Amino acid sequence: MFNNYLKIAVRNLLRNKVYSAINILGLAIGIASCILIFLYVQDELSYENHFSKSGRITRIVGEVIFEGHKDEFAVTPPALAPAVSRFSDIEAVTQFNRAGKQTIWYNNQTFTDEDLVFADSVFFKVFDYELLAGNPATALIAPHTIVLTEEMAEKIFGGVEQAMGEVLQFSRDSYTVTGVYRNLGHSHLNVSGLLSKATIDARTSAEERNTQWFNLNNYTYVLLQNEEQIASLQAQVDDLTQNHVNPWIKENKLNAQMKFIVQPLKDIHFDTRYMHSISSSGNISYVYIFGAVAVFLLLIASINYMNLATARSAKRAKEVGLRKVVGADRSQIIRQFLGESVLLTLIAVLLALALVQIFIPSFNNLTEKNFSSDFFLQWDFLLVILAIVLLVGVVAGSYPAFFLSGFKPADVLKSDKQPRGGSATLRRALVVLQFSISLIMIIGTIVVFTQMHFLKSADLGFNKEQVMVIDVPGGDSTLVQRLPVIKQKLLQNPNVLQVSNSYSIPAEPTNRTLLLMEQDGKMVEKTMDIIAVDYDFISLMGMEIKEGRNFSRDMKTDEKSGIIINEAAAKWLGWSEPIGKKVGTGENRVGDSSTRIIGVVKDFHMSSLHTDVQPLAITLAPESPGYLLARISPENQAATISFVEEQWRMFDQRHPMEYFFMDEFFDRQYRAEEKMLTVFGYFAGLTILIACLGLFGLASFTAEQRTKEIGIRKVLGSTTGNIVLLLSKDFALLVAIAIMLATPVAWYGMSQWLQDFAYRIDLSWWIFALAGLLALVIALATVSFQAVKAALLDPVKAIRTQ
Amino acid sequence: MSMQELIIDTQNLQKKYITDTVETTALAGVDLKIKRGEFVAIMGPSGCGKSTLLNILGMLDSPSSGSFKFLGQEVANVSERQRAKLRKENLGFVFQSFNLIDELTVEENIALPLAYLGFSKSETEKRTLQAMERMGIAHRRSHFPQQLSGGQQQRAAIARAVVSEPALILADEPTGNLDSVHGREVMQLLSELNDAGTTVVMVTHSPTDAEYAHRIVNLFDGQIVTENLNVKRHAAELL
Repeated sequence: MFNNYLKIAVRNLLRNKVYSAINILGLAIGIASCILIFLYVQDELSYENHFSKSGRITRIVGEVIFEGHKDEFAVTPPALAPAVSRFSDIEAVTQFNRAGKQTIWYNNQTFTDEDLVFADSVFFKVFDYELLAGNPATALIAPHTIVLTEEMAEKIFGGVEQAMGEVLQFSRDSYTVTGVYRNLGHSHLNVSGLLSKATIDARTSAEERNTQWFNLNNYTYVLLQNEEQIASLQAQVDDLTQNHVNPWIKENKLNAQMKFIVQPLKDIHFDTRYMHSISSSGNISYVYIFGAVAVFLLLIASINYMNLATARSAKRAKEVGLRKVVGADRSQIIRQFLGESVLLTLIAVLLALALVQIFIPSFNNLTEKNFSSDFFLQWDFLLVILAIVLLVGVVAGSYPAFFLSGFKPADVLKSDKQPRGGSATLRRALVVLQFSISLIMIIGTIVVFTQMHFLKSADLGFNKEQVMVIDVPGGDSTLVQRLPVIKQKLLQNPNVLQVSNSYSIPAEPTNRTLLLMEQDGKMVEKTMDIIAVDYDFISLMGMEIKEGRNFSRDMKTDEKSGIIINEAAAKWLGWSEPIGKKVGTGENRVGDSSTRIIGVVKDFHMSSLHTDVQPLAITLAPESPGYLLARISPENQAATISFVEEQWRMFDQRHPMEYFFMDEFFDRQYRAEEKMLTVFGYFAGLTILIACLGLFGLASFTAEQRTKEIGIRKVLGSTTGNIVLLLSKDFALLVAIAIMLATPVAWYGMSQWLQDFAYRIDLSWWIFALAGLLALVIALATVSFQAVKAALLDPVKAIRTQ
Repeated sequence: MSMQELIIDTQNLQKKYITDTVETTALAGVDLKIKRGEFVAIMGPSGCGKSTLLNILGMLDSPSSGSFKFLGQEVANVSERQRAKLRKENLGFVFQSFNLIDELTVEENIALPLAYLGFSKSETEKRTLQAMERMGIAHRRSHFPQQLSGGQQQRAAIARAVVSEPALILADEPTGNLDSVHGREVMQLLSELNDAGTTVVMVTHSPTDAEYAHRIVNLFDGQIVTENLNVKRHAAELL
């Protein structure tokens, strides 16, 4: 019997090649997309899994509430770890802090690295990385030791064994390699090496560290004795905050409240709230969106199967009737058709696996992931495949199976009585559903595209184009002192239009500081963002001074006592006449009244347009490390860049020049959205492709079914144009209904997405009109192919066929 | 003696079709008794209810009211599953339009009833071959139905009807789509089957075909109007 079913199924597939191709191709594309998305989602959810104690590891993060404004930080004060280690239920506490950008010298080679941290000796007790060399318990105890990742060891020394015991020279001091560890899986800890924290601890006293509650620079991780103790840890931390930390802050006349929050390790990757995170975070909404897209694609492909199978059921009706006549009962027929859809799905799965193999490199590019093509050897993947086969095969197969098996042999075996091929209403509803989903995807793509265009072309309040940004390494004071020299040198090239140096640039996290601001004659504490720049920064950036003046070399007092604020700050402080207002800054913030506001700069975007312009203070620091900026002419750009490189080599032999362009750097803030746009765009294309495949099949079925009607109409004088219109009208109506259904859903969804941006486009009608028109044109193009074919049929033949 | 056993016994069999607007009476109280081994032809004009009656006798349809005993068992209101079981164990069908499955070869078509009866592979092969040889189509066993002439298709269909050795064969205008030569061939085959003991009930328009039956039942407007013994056939048998 099984052989018989298989034969029938295979012969049916071969006989109806177009129909089979539509189904198999549609399903294969759907399943291939599903597999890729599954890999992506699984990868995103795999963070921290490789730590054997991951369930017991927690991170403590901080919230600082100041004047009702809450800031959330991934970093905590250095005093936190020693305090927590005295709590009960704790197995270990480790803390580390970022080393920042470092230049490393070894054997006449220079390396730069931004992902090093200073970690204490407990680190490996909490995070059980596999050590390829060295002893995890002792490797980080002594000062001036370093434990590297395998990749770093390979990069610098060419191997693990070669690295051990070697000495790496940093700008300030040197470190001996005492261990090499292997990164086994994804972790938010994107660290390239661990420097012993004992090195920097030696520079301060333990007393100082253990009492300091307002310097946020350490990451604190706690290993609990068991997973349930997270609440008890939170309670103990709250207790500490209430009885010790906040009183301490008050004692030190800092008008703020601190709160610490215990966070499970597994939650960190998707928690994007915290500033100064150790690495860029994932985005759980993209996991959800992609998951939904995968389900949609499968759904649309399954609908094709359901629609085409029922539409074509008239052709199978005789077989069903016969099988029943010779003794098949309904359940046997159902099983047969379910088997067929499972078989079809299996073929589609095989094709999908081939498609995935072909597209995995492009998908890796797109998602910046690194999936290997042997993914299908994992058991959980095989389970997913099995689930897909059963889900699609059984769910998509069950409607046709139940429908077909219900045929009465007495009806279908009489040649003059043919079943109508299932409920046309249901088929129409399913087509509407397919097109609604496609439309939502199209609208989404257009909205994201438009918003991205808006973000990139928006007036930032400064000109980000043609600004070359060169890294000025810190820790080398002679370099900073000689900055004016290189600035002069660079300006000798006529294509270098302006130069400046600045401690911070847009799209970099800014410092936040406590200032005393004059309000109603009193000095009031305010925290605000602050940047330090030189005389030329504002002019080079093309920023506009709205009131007062820019920093001036002629005013010797500017460096010590001149501050420029932005409009947002003036508004926030309630100053209608900001120029001349008193400010207390730095160590002298209490009582130093000689500092004044000298200018107000027009609002500009220090960070992406996700956020509003924050109140900002700009101070003058003509000689600071950070960045050297050069606005260069678009002419001869390559030559200008090599000129700058040449000058830099003469200026600083120790550090290789590292540079980037400001526009690219700034736009990198939209990378996540950019990525989503591309992925979304592709999948939107695929959804509409699969939906159109189905539409094509349905249109051909309708044309076939209405052959006689078309023939009669033509005999009665209908033109080809009339016929095409007649056949297309129905489908156009379905797309129109889909537009009406998709518009509110897409409008809601995309409004939610746009909430992420402080500056956003309006969801204007043309976006929906454009998407609708696009879907309509694509659908009609698909349908009209069949309609024209039907309309051109010889009417005599057409009438005779039925 | 088994000749006297009733294979079909209906009393006041009625069938009504109800659509949105009209109620059509297809059978208006049919009492029909058919003994084992009989060959009965049902005749009548189009729309008289012949096919409806045959469908009910073949358990492809159920009556609206009345009694239908098959081999002494009341089957008028049994479940779909039960009917499927009775069909496959006792009945063989022959249709005007042959109704072979296009995607299966002649041999596969004929073997189909045995598959649903759960026969072993070797037994299936043996019986299928026997049926094909009996119908003279063994040489076309691996052809598909479209590759066969109408007569060959109908012979394949009869082979399929008899392969499971049913007690009763129901034939619905078995020669309707055939020319007279092939038609005669088919009627001879049915007749031979009947001679070998299989009960045959046939719906036909053709008086010539009806000649092969023992008894001719005339149906009009859903009722039996006359029942005639076929003297010729009886005479032939007596000789």
